[in-house]
Formats: sequence, structure tokens, C-alpha cells
Amino acid sequence: MAIEARRFVRRAPSKADKTLLVDIRITDMRAGDAAWWDAKLGIKHIPLQRADRYWVWSVLLPMCHLVQLTKRRYCRALVIWARNDQGRFLRVGMSMLIETYPYLDVTRSLDSYFVWFISAADPATLRADFGMTHPPALGRALLDNAIVLSQNAALGGRIGLHATAAGGKALLNLYSACGLSHLPTRAKLPAGVRPKNDGRFLFADESQAEAMAAMLDPSR
Amino acid sequence: MSKFMKLEASSPATLGAVVEAVTRLSTYSEAQILEFVSAGKIQELFPFRPTHADALPPDTVEEGDLVEASAMPLNREQRAALIQSSMPTASAAGSVAAGASRVRRSSKKTYSKR
Repeated sequence: MAIEARRFVRRAPSKADKTLLVDIRITDMRAGDAAWWDAKLGIKHIPLQRADRYWVWSVLLPMCHLVQLTKRRYCRALVIWARNDQGRFLRVGMSMLIETYPYLDVTRSLDSYFVWFISAADPATLRADFGMTHPPALGRALLDNAIVLSQNAALGGRIGLHATAAGGKALLNLYSACGLSHLPTRAKLPAGVRPKNDGRFLFADESQAEAMAAMLDPSR
Repeated sequence: MSKFMKLEASSPATLGAVVEAVTRLSTYSEAQILEFVSAGKIQELFPFRPTHADALPPDTVEEGDLVEASAMPLNREQRAALIQSSMPTASAAGSVAAGASRVRRSSKKTYSKR
């Protein structure tokens, strides 16, 4: 019996009212999306105390693709859009994922998806400047995109990421709250995932990934 | 030629310079690159920005105008098309990607570290 592929999520809870679901859609990222993000949202993020305040997506997008090409790997860059008060869709999230990346649990010598850069628009900016009364909470959706791609690529849903130091303890806590496991600081890293383990790597194995994805199945 | 511009000189970047920067960046791990970017220091390793000759796309679109991404693995042609559409222009994408491909095949490093 054929197993049906899992789809991306199409609804996410409102940040302000978790009982309310906001329509979201996922598209592949192109140069215009990155340029728009930098000009309309990125510039508003710079004064804020955010881990991604210096991320310039119009530079990241081509750069990440090219760097991974030299490593014989591919990036998957996605945009999350959300419905605003006028019923139209607006870019609210960006992600840069790496396919077929070494799984962070070296005891198993497997591949996974690596969540390299993920960013959600500042909710206050969406409300004030873009007519979106209910910006969606995107943390789980951004991770779910990587899990779904990993599952559909026969990688078991395994994902890994490095939480940037700019995000501090709060970012580690956020990822843990989403269901990821903290890679112990004493754990070895796979070959090619340098430098030393700084204690900010997190990952999901097959069962964790399935649990995280299943939780969002009603919203697909 | 590439439509990347040098950050400070505002002059077109040569293909060789972009390839050299990409090759140098590829010696760092993804976690290291993430930290460079988050610290606002990526321009020290990749001192280019794409040109924005085209007008920005509109802020919002109708649902029917969105082409939703496939949740399935992409084939080689689909990947290539997305990489092309990620570059400042299609012609630049071809030349830069080809350059990166050349670098990938070469084991000899022709750059010096800063």
C-alpha cells in the first residue's frame, strides 16, 4: 500500500490568540522574495533585539546555494505567506534548509535535513505596517517544513540545527519547547560539522519528528 | 557577467572574485557561517550584494497567484531552476553557478586566507 506524502501546514495559530488559526502557504524562495523581505521587513528588524537582525536574505539566498553547491549539497529555500485582514497573502517567514546533511547523532551515521536559517517577521511590524491583526506563530511551522521534507525524502524526518549565539538561552528554550533535543555539549559532531560542539546544536530523531509533525496534521 | 556588486566600491564583481569568496566560505561550517551572518560580519567573507535592477514584487498577492512549493524532493532540473531564480539575474546565475561548479571540481586552492 502506498504511503501518502505529508503536506506542508496551511494554518498556524495566531500569536495573539492561540485559538484562532491563520491561513498560511509555502512557496519556494526566489530573488524577488529575498529583496522584498530585506526592503520591507529586514530593515525594520535591525533596531530590534533579534537573532536575525543582521540577516540580509538577498545576500544569503544566492550565497547559501553557492556554498552548498561546492559541498555537493543542495539548499531548499522557502517562504511562508499568511493571509492578512484584506484576505491577501503576505510574506511572513523565510527559511534556508540543507538537504542530505550529516545527522548530528554520530552514533547512527545517517543523513538529515539541516535548518540553517529561519526567520519569522516581527508581529508588531505586521500589525502596524501590513494590516495583519493576527500574525501567525511560526516557530513550529518553520521546523515542520524541514521535518516534512525530511520524511518525504526518506530521511525519517530527522533534522538538526545550530541555534545562533545571538539568540541566547531564549532561542535554545524555544527550540526545546518545540520538541527538539539538545545535543549534549560532550557529544562528538559528524565529520564536516565543525568546529567543536558549543552546546547550541539541537536535533530531532525519527520519533520526535513524527510526534512534532503529527501534532500539526489537522492544519495541513 | 555576474550582477553581484562589491559592497563598498559599488562596482560589478568579477566572477573570479565571487567564486573565490564562495570557495573561501565553503571552508567554514554551516554553524560558523550562521554566526558570521548573525554577528553582521558576513561582508568580511562575502563582500558582495546582488543588484536590484528590477522593481520589488508587490507586498501582497491573491491566493490564486501563489505557486505552492512541493513538499517532495525536487529533481535536478527543478533544483537548477530554483538556484537560477535565486540569483540576481538568470545570466548571472548561470555564470556564477558554473564557476562554483568549476571550483567544486578543482582541488587546488588559488586564494589566500585573510
